[in-house]
Amino acid sequence: MRLRRLGALAVALLIVASSLALAGCAKSGGASQTSLTVTGSTTVLPIAEVAAEDFQTANPGKRVLVAGVGSSAGIESVSNGTSDIGTSSRDLKPEEKPLGLVDTKIALDAIAVIVNPSNPVSGLTKAQVSEIFQGKIKNWKDVGGPDLEIGLVNRDEASGTREAFSKFVLGTADFDPTAAVLPGTGQVRSVVAQAAGAVGYISLGFVDSTVKALAVDGIPANEKTVADGTYPLWRYLHFFTKGDPKGLAKAYIDYILSADVQNTVVRDAGFLPITEGGK
Amino acid sequence: MTESRDPRTGEPVPDMCVDDPADAVGAPDPHSDSTLSTISKATYFKEAALRNLFLLCACVAVAGVGLIFLFVGLKGWPIFAKVGIWQFLTGAKWYPTKEFFGILPLIVNSLLAMVGALVLGAPLAIGTAVFLSEVASPKLRELVRPAVELLAGIPSVVYGFFGLVLLRPIIARLFGGLGFGLFTVWLILAVMILPTIAALTEDALRSVPEGIREASYAMGATKWQTIWRVLLPAAKIGIIDAIILGMGRAIGETMAVVMVAGNARVIPDGIFKPFLTLTTVIVMDMPYASGDHRTALFGVAIILFIISMAFVAAIRVISRFGKEMS
Repeated sequence: MRLRRLGALAVALLIVASSLALAGCAKSGGASQTSLTVTGSTTVLPIAEVAAEDFQTANPGKRVLVAGVGSSAGIESVSNGTSDIGTSSRDLKPEEKPLGLVDTKIALDAIAVIVNPSNPVSGLTKAQVSEIFQGKIKNWKDVGGPDLEIGLVNRDEASGTREAFSKFVLGTADFDPTAAVLPGTGQVRSVVAQAAGAVGYISLGFVDSTVKALAVDGIPANEKTVADGTYPLWRYLHFFTKGDPKGLAKAYIDYILSADVQNTVVRDAGFLPITEGGK
Repeated sequence: MTESRDPRTGEPVPDMCVDDPADAVGAPDPHSDSTLSTISKATYFKEAALRNLFLLCACVAVAGVGLIFLFVGLKGWPIFAKVGIWQFLTGAKWYPTKEFFGILPLIVNSLLAMVGALVLGAPLAIGTAVFLSEVASPKLRELVRPAVELLAGIPSVVYGFFGLVLLRPIIARLFGGLGFGLFTVWLILAVMILPTIAALTEDALRSVPEGIREASYAMGATKWQTIWRVLLPAAKIGIIDAIILGMGRAIGETMAVVMVAGNARVIPDGIFKPFLTLTTVIVMDMPYASGDHRTALFGVAIILFIISMAFVAAIRVISRFGKEMS
């Protein structure tokens, strides 16, 4: 009786194993046709995800799998073939140029410097922001605020937002190494929302009422100032493909670039349509 | 006195039960009825097959440890060759993308996190164990023990989530800063190691022979005197083992720590400042690490492996020492 039970267990295991193997075959066999893998920036996630859902509804039988793992991981995965499209909120680094990736810019994004809503400071100069994130200014009273210790919130090194922020604001200087390092836009926002002295940076699209976006060099962070090019911290969002996009990847990218998606999905996510980038 | 202990440990009894149905299965077999003293061929093969099955299970465990050690070692070794073991262990800067591979801050932070968790968690756990073993009425014990055991069953990511969402904002409000840091990690880890230490300490207290308690009471000792002067010293070795196991859990814990530590790659200059440990650096860096950076993370894994082997070795040495004493 015990042996029979063991036998049944073995049979069950065999069935599970073989069905897994079959599923694996089906997936790899039809990857170019029925399913598309899109991985990369957590910033691009809201566009890629909503567009993927709509795209699947419009094209029954096609599947678009979207994952947010950070820009660097996205570029890594598209270059080694793990995914079909790598999304990124930064341009390619010099060492990534020879990977043979083709860049399609899909939207404009601004980076907002955010603080707790209880913080009376409403604007900083770019130089002040830079000194704060280098750890040279440690108290809000030095920039016209209350006597309150500044709590720095940084992103991890895989983040395209960090890359872009560092390039815009710090130049060649380094981030203060004692800053908290958080692995996602949402975490940065919720931590800043819950700590009085905190300061962080996230995409303008993710700013909500729980945090306050600071004006930089006297220019408030909003769609209008980004579109007319006066707000200093903005960047493109990219889709990278290995070689020119083709097949399902091309269909998906064309869908995202269509005026309809640009004006609804991209705008709803808080980004600006790529057509606005005429500066 | 030992007889009264036996039903409580209870292990040998179910073992006998398992054997009985096996004979019952053999009995209907028509070939085996001829002689009473010998077992049938079918039963013999079943027994042999099961014996080999269990041997295989044990082999898988040993092979698993061996393969992991081999794999991590092979992957991580080049970083020792490149920067030197001593430089790797004592370097004060961990900026792998800028070719600084020093894990001293990570080692120090891991130890700080572990020691604080033990200082808070071990007395709590030993107190819980004393309560369960010596103080609680059977009814109360039936209520408290499952609760403590349940604590061990909660996935560590849930502890981390609890810490991040509930505990961290409270600490940020009370003490300023962001709420990340050693203090938050200590609180979470203390609760996480409690069930491990409590369960093993309770076992150690229960294995103290009843006669020792009776002797203590017969000498006129109070309950407190018996616990403090007699039982805890008698169960000393078991309690030290329990604490070392708790240390292993605290230093190896990753998911809960990564969510409330704040991940700054420096030795924090306060207990409310963010920090990174040996385990959390692997979680944070692995998604994007490549080249030497990735190799260095495997190097960190080797160090973790050695630390946990040291804990296991310490337990074995101490247990043997304890046996020789008694």
